[in-house]
Amino acid sequence: MTGAAVLDLTGLAATFARGRMATFADPDEDLVRRVGQGDPAAIQAMVARKLPRMLALAQRMLGDPAEAEDVAQEALLRAWRQAPRWVSGRAKFDTWLHRVALNLCYDRLRRRREVPTAAPPDRRDDSPAPDRGLLAADIGAAVNGALARLPDRQREAIVLCHYQELSNIEAAGLMKVSIEALESLLSRGRRALRQALADHRPGAEGV
Amino acid sequence: MTAERFLALTTAYGADRRRWPDGERAAAEAFAAARPALARPALAQADAVDALLHRSPTPQVSMALRDRVLAAATSAGDRAHHAGRLWIDRLSLAFGAGWAAAACAGIVAGVIMTGHVTADARADAVLYQASLLGMDDTELLG
Repeated sequence: MTGAAVLDLTGLAATFARGRMATFADPDEDLVRRVGQGDPAAIQAMVARKLPRMLALAQRMLGDPAEAEDVAQEALLRAWRQAPRWVSGRAKFDTWLHRVALNLCYDRLRRRREVPTAAPPDRRDDSPAPDRGLLAADIGAAVNGALARLPDRQREAIVLCHYQELSNIEAAGLMKVSIEALESLLSRGRRALRQALADHRPGAEGV
Repeated sequence: MTAERFLALTTAYGADRRRWPDGERAAAEAFAAARPALARPALAQADAVDALLHRSPTPQVSMALRDRVLAAATSAGDRAHHAGRLWIDRLSLAFGAGWAAAACAGIVAGVIMTGHVTADARADAVLYQASLLGMDDTELLG
């Protein structure tokens, strides 16, 4: 993790400790404590609970399955290292883990921009051609393609609020923006998706 | 809640009221009930976008990835245990060295002290015998 990322995490925890999220019930608190003690059952439960979430987050942020697996694995590895030192009450563990995974995703997105390629693998358009029959898999691929073409911050807002089902306060905190700015990103992202997928809306797809 | 705010909520968070902000959910629901002519089209449009978003397939965790993550947990645990063990070993070594140093210092001090005590005792004995026998130092010590 970069030094800036570490500072981000520290700042995030401090922000939560100062602000309105200082008092909350963390559903992962007991599990994290047991993971920190090396309890094998707790480690398995943590994998079952968090690995799918981190994989989904990374897959939708990066659009590349192999990179998403690397990010999810690294995020969980950092969770194993953090668990013995975890101080409950300062931040929700799930939010902290999202921050770790998002930082890893942004590291990769930044690297992609620094290495110019003719056709970045994560931005390939898997959308079906307009004249093809619209199968469910085609629509899924079209949605993923449209998500991948959104600006990073709009995609992040939609991924955090819609797919990861974080509250608007948690998502805005992770993105370090106001609630108003988060809502603006969400609205613009959803509008762009609606326009990009106009042919695939219910009633227009013929499936 | 104003009409403008209701439209902003559905445009940002969609039609599923569970996704609306906690603090505004009740007011938005009341608005939708009171102003259906305005609310229904907005909710229908938001619901169409929600339905599209739901079509994105959820990635499945492969067994290989799961195994790698579990192996990493074991490895991290071993390293933490090893680090803890090293710390204890180092502490033990430090304490052991301290005890050894203290023991050596005790022996040296004991030897020196014994020498001093023996010399003092010898001198006392000489003076005592001299006083008893009335001999001078030359006679006694030769």
